[in-house]
Amino acid sequence: MSVLKEKELRVIGFLCNWCSYGGADTAGVGRFAQPTDLRIVRVPCSGRINPLFVLKALLGGADGVLVSGCHPRDCHYAEGNFYARRRLEVLKGFLPVLGIDPRRFEYTWVSASEGQRWQHVVTTFTANIHALGPASFSPDAPELEILNAAAR
Amino acid sequence: MVMSTDTAKKFVSFESLPDFLARLAQESRVYAPRREGRAVVYRLWGPDDKAEFTARPTESCKQVIFPRSEALFYFSRGGEGENPDASSLILQEAPEPGPAVIFGALSCDARGFLAFDPVYDGCGTGGKAKDVYYLKRRELTTLVVRTCKTPLNTCFCTWVGGGPASSEGADALMTEIGNGWLFEAVSDKGAALLQSLPDASEEQRAEGAASREAAQGVFPQPADIKDAPVSLRALFDSAAFWEKQTAQCLYCGACTYLCPTCYCFNITDESNGIKGLRMRSWDNCMSPLFTLETSGHNPRPAKFNRLKNRVGHKFSYYPKIHSGRFSCCGCGRCIKSCPSSVDIRKIVLDAIKEAANV
Amino acid sequence: MAIQDDIKSAIAEALPGLSCVIGWGAGPEALRAAPLFMRDAADVDKFTAGFLAVNNPALFLPSLKGAKVGLVVKGCDARSVGQLVAENLVSREAIHLIGYPCRGVIDMDKATAALEGRCEPGEVKGLREENEDIVLDAPGGEIRLAKKDVAADKCARCRYPNAESADVFVGEKAAPVVERDDYADLAAFENMALDARKAFWEKEMSRCIRCYACRNACPLCVCRDHCVASSREPHWLTQADGVRDKLFFQLIHATHLAGRCTGCGECERACPVGIPLLTLKRAFSRQVEGLFGYTAGIDRSTPPLLTFKLEEPAIKEREW
Repeated sequence: MSVLKEKELRVIGFLCNWCSYGGADTAGVGRFAQPTDLRIVRVPCSGRINPLFVLKALLGGADGVLVSGCHPRDCHYAEGNFYARRRLEVLKGFLPVLGIDPRRFEYTWVSASEGQRWQHVVTTFTANIHALGPASFSPDAPELEILNAAAR
Repeated sequence: MVMSTDTAKKFVSFESLPDFLARLAQESRVYAPRREGRAVVYRLWGPDDKAEFTARPTESCKQVIFPRSEALFYFSRGGEGENPDASSLILQEAPEPGPAVIFGALSCDARGFLAFDPVYDGCGTGGKAKDVYYLKRRELTTLVVRTCKTPLNTCFCTWVGGGPASSEGADALMTEIGNGWLFEAVSDKGAALLQSLPDASEEQRAEGAASREAAQGVFPQPADIKDAPVSLRALFDSAAFWEKQTAQCLYCGACTYLCPTCYCFNITDESNGIKGLRMRSWDNCMSPLFTLETSGHNPRPAKFNRLKNRVGHKFSYYPKIHSGRFSCCGCGRCIKSCPSSVDIRKIVLDAIKEAANV
Repeated sequence: MAIQDDIKSAIAEALPGLSCVIGWGAGPEALRAAPLFMRDAADVDKFTAGFLAVNNPALFLPSLKGAKVGLVVKGCDARSVGQLVAENLVSREAIHLIGYPCRGVIDMDKATAALEGRCEPGEVKGLREENEDIVLDAPGGEIRLAKKDVAADKCARCRYPNAESADVFVGEKAAPVVERDDYADLAAFENMALDARKAFWEKEMSRCIRCYACRNACPLCVCRDHCVASSREPHWLTQADGVRDKLFFQLIHATHLAGRCTGCGECERACPVGIPLLTLKRAFSRQVEGLFGYTAGIDRSTPPLLTFKLEEPAIKEREW
């Protein structure tokens, strides 16, 4: 059940399999109320997250993108999240040049046992996105817009 | 559709041109060159736009008749959302195009479509394999050609049968005189378009004729390239010649996409959930993907293979099957906009010279 | 020009041990040179340097593996070579670099703007350099332009005018134009509101013709025939002529150059429709310089996105 009253927005979450996806699961098992705007994509590791995933989502109409992985030094693959941290930090500073509010993208760390922390992260981030409101997105070619309209 | 009667000659002053365009825009989509950044591109004209009729357009106007991408048809599975019915397929035709006017194209642009026409009108198939998508837009489009006053360094329309005021392929011509434009109908379509305009005076007609004659005088003398088809075929296996000629090429698609006569396309499906479309989009023979086969074999693996094909197609293979007409209108955009300064004129001339020495 | 003869001598001296030397020669029109592949003495005679020596010869290096190649390089070209070497994409031993002091190169877009109302650049019949000016033989008579008014933007913020890594350096070293790059151009761009920036890119990208000259002119784009943007699987881009796909292509290009781009500006110069593509790359470069103090093409350490530190002093991760 949504804890926010407004219309749902499209928030995409890229969560690593070993920590954050587990953390989200823990939050669910613990029955912690959360907003339901987030659509989760499970990836093996935050190091797997190509910054283009985030950009593709933002250009394609996502209102916000959240990435979450294992805490630094806790990566299942030892160092994936160290690379992710550099890439995602570089990406965050790049977004404004495109005219995308950098607050529409965040990355953080949540372990599998941190159900409450997950609840806090997802609630805070979703509230931030609601404060920003729906994002405008770039137009497609007219022949594709016909398809997009059908899918919206 | 050449007019049988005396061609109509009309005059429009610079100030009243936007009114004329606005009248045309009520009936058709009107495309005119417009300055954007440092480029001049053809855009759908609106009353607030300032058309650019001085600088030569960076791109050709071929996308009006041969869009960069276009839907051929739409498809979808029956059923709903997450339960598509795989056994059913619903097809839907793409929307019909409407009438269009290309206003202020160059004469080379208009002649470019003459290279398209036989290919899309079923040549070599006894007229059976006609491209209805192209032919429909072609029929619905009226081309108003702006004659040129001076050549650019890269212009060579005169080498391939064109000229600054060639009316070939045009429906109407417009020539800058004094404080406005002299319009002359070339085809019935052009005459219909100009019908509402006031007639030009004798002086205005004379001024237009004089302006065009002056332009003719300052355009480059044609080089003799009649041997190009034979020479290029003779050099087909001369890898060393082609490697040298193409060393600087980046094999990007700037030349092919700006070219008024490059007509190759690709067909792909794009889908979104259970719906999708089959579309046609421009293809580019400079790209390795143009000839890449499913097996992984590529008959044109190196850039010299590909540029050889581009030059050979325009100046040898195409004229061989299209009564000697080169598939090049001499607009020079491939030279002017080449990031690496490749000059197709030099390649053709060098090939003729090289073949004579072999 | 004396320096031009000295460069020619340096090329002629090095040529016997090399498969070719790449520099610049006369182009198809007065304001444009062309890349010149010199294989013998007759080719060397055609060499020209100076204000029109625009193309970055480092572009051709990855495709010329297997034979030792010579390049005549400006400072910015040498940075591209440096980055290719730092990433082990080419071997420094297989390259002979001939450097000279670069004092800026022409920007055709600026020249077009400077000539607007007088003629098109394509109508100029000749050009000669006179110290700080260029003099054009234009249809209505001679036109004199100050080089600084029509030089590329990158030249006004040039920190490395001399190819410091050259094997042979011809002439006296030029002084850097600036000591540090303050990214003032980006700051000015970011004075626009976010929505206006988005609208700016949508308008600019709408005239993209998807020729990918930006990619093919980039010396650091080494995937060449295997670019992920041309792939159907993964299917990053549709074939459609839409702004979203066109912009996304630029994001593919820019992200793959993050921390690698040396700012040579060839992407932007190659664009036939004049889209200011370097701005996107510079936004990444500013981030990488700010966070990791890394200058691509100059630093010899591992490029920052190919490595990490356990603690990142410059990264303040969000406290949730």
